[in-house]
Amino acid sequence: MSDTALEVLYDLRRRRKRHRLGDIEWFDAAYRVYLVALFGGGTVLWISSAIGDETVSAHAVADVARNGPALIGMITTLALLAGLRSGAQGGPLALEAPDVTYVMLSPVDRMRALLRPVTQRARSAASLGAAFGAIVGQLAGRRLPGTPVAWAASGAAFGIATALLWAGAALIAHAIRLPLWIATSLGLAGVAWQSAAFAWYLPGPANQFGSLAMWGWRQHPVDLATVLIAVIVLLVGVGMLQQTSLDALARRSSLVAQLRFAVTMQDLRTVILLRRQLNQEQTRGRPWLRVPRWITHPIARRGIASVARFPATRLVRMTAFAAMAGVLQAMVMRGTTPALIGTAFLLFILGLEVMEPLSQEVDQPDRTDSLPIDRGELLVRHLLAPAIALIPFAVVAAVSAVAVLGTSRAIVPAAILALPTALAGVAGGVVSIVRDAPDPTKNTQQTFVPPEMAGISSAMRVGLPILVSAIAASTILLVRHAERTGTSTTGAAVRGAIGATLLIFLVTYWVRRRDQWRRKFRQFMSDGQAYTKQQRSTS
Amino acid sequence: MTELSTRQLTKSYGDRPALEPLTLTIESGAKVALVGHNGSGKTTLMKMAAGLLDPTGGNVQIGRHAAGTQEARRLLSWLSDMPTFYDDLSLWEHLEFVARLHGVTEWQDNAEDLLDQIGLTPRRDDIPTTFSRGLRQKAAITLAFIRPFKLMLVDEPFVGLDEPGKQALLRLFDAASSRGATLLIATHELTFVKQVGRLLALRDGELIYDGAPSDTDVHTLVLPT
Repeated sequence: MSDTALEVLYDLRRRRKRHRLGDIEWFDAAYRVYLVALFGGGTVLWISSAIGDETVSAHAVADVARNGPALIGMITTLALLAGLRSGAQGGPLALEAPDVTYVMLSPVDRMRALLRPVTQRARSAASLGAAFGAIVGQLAGRRLPGTPVAWAASGAAFGIATALLWAGAALIAHAIRLPLWIATSLGLAGVAWQSAAFAWYLPGPANQFGSLAMWGWRQHPVDLATVLIAVIVLLVGVGMLQQTSLDALARRSSLVAQLRFAVTMQDLRTVILLRRQLNQEQTRGRPWLRVPRWITHPIARRGIASVARFPATRLVRMTAFAAMAGVLQAMVMRGTTPALIGTAFLLFILGLEVMEPLSQEVDQPDRTDSLPIDRGELLVRHLLAPAIALIPFAVVAAVSAVAVLGTSRAIVPAAILALPTALAGVAGGVVSIVRDAPDPTKNTQQTFVPPEMAGISSAMRVGLPILVSAIAASTILLVRHAERTGTSTTGAAVRGAIGATLLIFLVTYWVRRRDQWRRKFRQFMSDGQAYTKQQRSTS
Repeated sequence: MTELSTRQLTKSYGDRPALEPLTLTIESGAKVALVGHNGSGKTTLMKMAAGLLDPTGGNVQIGRHAAGTQEARRLLSWLSDMPTFYDDLSLWEHLEFVARLHGVTEWQDNAEDLLDQIGLTPRRDDIPTTFSRGLRQKAAITLAFIRPFKLMLVDEPFVGLDEPGKQALLRLFDAASSRGATLLIATHELTFVKQVGRLLALRDGELIYDGAPSDTDVHTLVLPT
């Protein structure tokens, strides 16, 4: 019966694929591909031009040869950590909810039924890894011995091997029901070992993976074993598919459906929110601290209560984001301007994380409308508690930037710039939260965006919040310019801080007035339409 | 013959126990009601028996097979209170898919009969994800009965059903029982409890009653502590 059931399942999948292909708006899909290619390609070209083509010094080449495998291998150990944690939390597979109810509960061979979802998961991870590896590889190939094409190929091979290792580790951790704390400990042990390998030139667990990424320059046949290891790990994971937990599949199925929809809608805020739920990240039942009694304002109390319930995992993640942002700003100071993109993105994500009270509020337009306070004012007041909560993370960013720069001259500019930059950076997250929230002023019957503008509007939706964060992050350029020209870095930092503060006020004012402006705009457009209609009827 | 048995079955969510160690057997052909207040552990027990939830301890057997195994899945039909459907298949296509997955080749007559009994014949070519709560429940009922089973686990089957729907479902239960199928039905519908031969009651994850419904005051069994 099992083979018959599998035939039925394959038949259904074929039929549904035909349905889906029939439903695709090909022009729309092509337009999206065009936008991604345009912006993605443009970004890669900009980074390439910023990096330049001049070959690095012999000393730098020797440095890359010595440290490269261990440093690149760090990515592999981080992927392994992510895979183990994903598996321990029920990943990496996600089926549709009815597949769990009807297919997984039927007498079909689960391993064979799950082969396609596993293949799709591994394939998408490998594609992403290959693309990322190829892009970074071709950038490396511009400055290092070897051709960009060879570097791109070896980068892609490294990306694929790492991605397959991630998928296999996740499948195994899932099948054996690895407790999360063990998964995290194992993964962190790997990362720590690899860090030690980088710092003290020891043999690291993922050095060979890193070495594979450098095949564009020199080839060590032993590195090919990493691909074999990754494939074996994946195959072991596939072999354990019978042990897949339906509990986890059922829990993840609805979340993943929402996640896909959110990705389709470029709703980054919802993507982050759903990823938290997928990882079973729950707010603390017992807060880190009680709201002091002397704080009587309900919105302030609500904000503090929300922030005080952030789970430890989120706090660790936010600390890591802040530290990485500091490191990237230090890299900008040293001349790697494209690192600004990374800082902007990290600050944007940090904003989505820290602005939880605001997120919770804007998701309930019915409730906010029922309160005896203007919605804009309400939202602005919700910014206060997260802004205060951001202070320690700004300190973390400043400390990590100074540590990387390794000079005491960086302390004063970092101290001046850190908080305004962090606050202005997370303002990008605020823009995203407020823009992507259900809009109570919107009349669903009316739309003033013509179809030909939809693509640009869609790009703006994603791009504008990141742009705000990028403007905030770029205040560091003033300090860098001052340092290069020999003028006061402290003065430059003050000017940067003033600029960031202005940006914060601008975004706050936008949050405060946005609903009013939108109402006025809609009214203006409606009046215009009514007038045009009247003119036509009289003529 | 025992159709469902649990041995020291437990489930905890973190520190919170959802089901205390439970040892239980249900014989073939029995019609059993499971009652309890909200959060008493009914759905947890049913889901573990269906293989949808991993037990924290102990085990569940369906016939002679561990819950969730291929053989157990062949024997067991699960009717959830939160039905899910593919959003690109009609109800008729759902019926075809589920029936054929379970090896039923001549399913059309049975499907038509089920749709007729439950009152969904006019909606057979519609997509069930567009249905109202009650119609979705009816659609789920047809899918649970279109396939062969020895044991049916039913969680809150009457929620959202109109009176004709409830009556149709009761007739389907009776028909299944008369064919020798075992039914375990978790419900808050206390009037239904009188129609079964055995009553199980859970309170805060503990089995507090196992016996004939006529020997107890059901209303007191469903009160939380």
